[in-house]
Amino acid sequence: MPASPFPLGKNELLQVYRTMRTIREFEDRLHVDFSRGDIPGFVHLYAGEEASAAGIMVHLGHGDRIASTHRGHGHCIAKGVDVMEMMKEIYGKKGGSCHGKGGSMHIADLSKGMMGANGILGAGAPLACGAALAAKFRGKNEVAISFVGDGASNQGTFLESLNLAAVWNLPAIFVVENNGYAESTSRDYGVAVDSYVDRAAGFGLPGITVDGTDFFAVYEAAGEIIRRAREGGGPALLECKMVRFHGHFEGDAQTYRGAGELDDIRANQDCLRKFSAAVTGDGLISAAELKSIDTEVLKLIEEAVKEAKAAPLPTAADLTTDVYISY
Amino acid sequence: MSEHPQAPCVGIIANPVSARDIRRVIANASNLQTADRVNIVLRMLTVFASLGVPRVLMMPDKGGVRAMLLRHLRRESNLHHKFPVLEFLDFDPMSTVDDTLRAAREMRAAGVKAIIVLGGDGTHRAVVRECGEIPIAGLSTGTNNAFPEMRESTITAMAVALFATGKLSAAQALAPNKLLEVSINNGERSDIAIVDAVISNERVVGARALWKAESLAAVYLSFADPQAIGLSSIGGLLQPVGRQDKGGLAVQLTEHPTQRQLTLSAPIAPGMMRDIGIAHWETMRAGREFEVGASAGVVALDGEREMAFDRADRVTVTLRENAFFTVDVARCLQTAAQRGLLRHPSPQSKKET
Amino acid sequence: MARKISMKQAINEALDQEMTRDPSVIVLGEDIVGGAGGDGERDAWGGVLGVTKGLYAKHGDRLMDTPLSESAYVGAAIGAAACGMRPVAELMFIDFMGVCFDQIYNQAAKFKYMFGGKAQTPVVIRAMVGAGFRAAAQHSQMLTPLFTHIPGLKVVCPSTPYDTKGLLIQSIRDNDPVIFCEHKNLYGFEGEVPEASYTIPFGEANIVREGKHASIVTYGLTVHRALEAAVTLAKEGIEVEIVDLRTLSPLDMDTVLESVQKTGHLVCVDEAHPRCNIAADISAQVVQQAFGALKGPIQMVSAPHCPVPFSPVLEDLFIPSGAQIAAAVKRTLAWGKH
Repeated sequence: MPASPFPLGKNELLQVYRTMRTIREFEDRLHVDFSRGDIPGFVHLYAGEEASAAGIMVHLGHGDRIASTHRGHGHCIAKGVDVMEMMKEIYGKKGGSCHGKGGSMHIADLSKGMMGANGILGAGAPLACGAALAAKFRGKNEVAISFVGDGASNQGTFLESLNLAAVWNLPAIFVVENNGYAESTSRDYGVAVDSYVDRAAGFGLPGITVDGTDFFAVYEAAGEIIRRAREGGGPALLECKMVRFHGHFEGDAQTYRGAGELDDIRANQDCLRKFSAAVTGDGLISAAELKSIDTEVLKLIEEAVKEAKAAPLPTAADLTTDVYISY
Repeated sequence: MSEHPQAPCVGIIANPVSARDIRRVIANASNLQTADRVNIVLRMLTVFASLGVPRVLMMPDKGGVRAMLLRHLRRESNLHHKFPVLEFLDFDPMSTVDDTLRAAREMRAAGVKAIIVLGGDGTHRAVVRECGEIPIAGLSTGTNNAFPEMRESTITAMAVALFATGKLSAAQALAPNKLLEVSINNGERSDIAIVDAVISNERVVGARALWKAESLAAVYLSFADPQAIGLSSIGGLLQPVGRQDKGGLAVQLTEHPTQRQLTLSAPIAPGMMRDIGIAHWETMRAGREFEVGASAGVVALDGEREMAFDRADRVTVTLRENAFFTVDVARCLQTAAQRGLLRHPSPQSKKET
Repeated sequence: MARKISMKQAINEALDQEMTRDPSVIVLGEDIVGGAGGDGERDAWGGVLGVTKGLYAKHGDRLMDTPLSESAYVGAAIGAAACGMRPVAELMFIDFMGVCFDQIYNQAAKFKYMFGGKAQTPVVIRAMVGAGFRAAAQHSQMLTPLFTHIPGLKVVCPSTPYDTKGLLIQSIRDNDPVIFCEHKNLYGFEGEVPEASYTIPFGEANIVREGKHASIVTYGLTVHRALEAAVTLAKEGIEVEIVDLRTLSPLDMDTVLESVQKTGHLVCVDEAHPRCNIAADISAQVVQQAFGALKGPIQMVSAPHCPVPFSPVLEDLFIPSGAQIAAAVKRTLAWGKH
């Protein structure tokens, strides 16, 4: 029996598929429900970017921390944050990840090492340096990962964090999720040189650029970088070139995209399709097995929405609680 | 497109993503910044302007090179610097090797006199697949640069310009090169390698680069330079074979100490020396089919995992000589100096040049 | 008789004792040790004004000099706090908060609330505040109102070495983010401080002088200016009560209101600029809650609405003086009388 060409065993591959499919269905469902007016506030959807979250998070445990962006649902799900709690949070209900006090942009679960989605772009980078510093003091070979986008890579906080991590040799990993747009602005306009590994090089840090729609490419590169950081090899940068299917926020008509651009990326750069083709093409996994996961995930999302809609709203008494631990 | 469709035109294929892969992390390999790639191209463009190449065709990319190059050309034109007409081929880049293949194909169809390649072995290989009789000139901007020579781009551009404008003939400017043809099941699938075809018995989906020494089964080389890094160093440090020498080299590797003739320390990646168990090696005569012994694995062509095979497949490697042309930059400049091609009579000078 | 030490020494002692007691306390800041990476002395400075000198010899790498990047290292302190450590980050001058304010007010201050109570950010950010040092406009501000405005932050500004040590130890042990303001002009001021460790609770103002005619409420350096005013006023038979707020968030309004009930006259003194400052905040609260107790209009004495000037003669006019405070007391006492 020839050895499997995949760096993961069958069960792990199925789990990865489940993670990515959960993100996809969660986001696509929010897209639909938002357009119906069910969801308050802003949501920023991660559909299309699943391979990055999955390919990286599969290497992490609860002791490893991540600091996410405004587009954080995918990172949350891949890090193990409870999907039911997440949906309630997005609906602003009690029992949500943050009891309705944070919303989509601030979902967090510190018990799972998820230091929060963040409404301030680039703000997670220093926080991840702090988490990495704490990991160093703890001495358990844990790491911290900061996610930023191509736009946020221009923030001073990001560049300062590269320097700080380099100077202190922190087990901090910087992942630039380059989907080509900072809101409506193309990276060809807003970023002086469209290479984030070049920025890391300026601080003496190594970097790898991968196709972020290829789970296995992300998995392998992230694996090496994370292993190196755990062993005290210091920080590095991973650039994942990817695409986002939906707008910057829901309600964005994406008129800034070229003609046919969206159709092309959905047809040719769908990381879930690529993953499915790779694992079924080799015969290791059957299409039916994947289909059965699809069905279970859809059921989970449906349940999550139902429960979120039925969950109680916070009350006036909740308004001023948890500002401080004690005052 | 241009007012002079017959005007000599040179193609440039600059790979924006070479030297960006996992070897930056596992082997301290250098990174070549986008800004540096663009500067390499700008230096060549100014040389072309000086030496009368009026038109340059480039491969489009989404990796930052085109965007930055255009920005710099706009800036430089504010300073009244002269450049040849620069056109990008009209296709939407996919950011894969298909861009390189397509660019080479279209440049050949457009009748470029030569194609300058910025990249590593993988990029050069892709160009050679499609360039046909068009000569190439390589600049090493990849991780593994066994094929392209280390050279300042100004000099390469000078050699290419002298050839493209007819000041040097093909006989004076060009050199023939060998390549390896890899065939699975008598042509059912086939591909080429310009430096090395390596058999790995590990089939791993993921990063393309090969660096795990224990998985290597055999190395077939079109030439083996002892000063090259990468898998060809396994031949280069065992029995060197020059680019212009007849024949190649086939080396069988083994993990088993009993089958080993010797152990060789070789730099299989930048900054990475590994001990390689050598079972057997022999010269490859051109045209002779070498059958691959391994039962399942992958064939890596010029350092990148490309062709998977299993026990039902028959895999062969054959050396071809005079398979494609390169601009012999050293010979070009030597000839140019000897023949005074860059001398110009001084307006007041009465001396014969 | 307890020994006397300076405010600077009190800070050093508080840090030392807490670092000894709790290994999760780390101290970060620019030049807090000094000499990093160079060929000369390590612990070359011990902080720009020597406040942390000597700690490196005792606690080593738990004192971390930082590169010149407040966003990164203040943010890192906050991130480390969220992950179980107790960092004390020094923002050398509170004037520098502009370059890292997001990490303080949008991140640290809001984690507990935004994450539904499921976070704890026990970070202390120490910063020098105040004018009088001839340090000019960008190194002399008070800026405390910018922090008291933010829900989720606690703000502390002691006026004596005794209060400094107790409140800093309290700040380090507190589980919320604390902005600990140290008036640079009080660093040399000496007072009695017990050698043992002790804490002072937040939200407890201190009556530094009792009096029945008027209440002066203030904090920091101007507590001492108020004391100067008290001496002058006493010669005219006016006895003022001075309330030192000590912590600005939480704010001890109970003590303020009690004092106002007693005296009926209130002067709020604040070294921060006049718009939206602590004095304005307290005045509005007193009017709402104790209007009936007031026998004259509340007076606010603050620095003027201008940046801190450089020239010493001008800077000396900037900080509220004892004379200005005394004049304000007389103004409110004189109201309605002719």
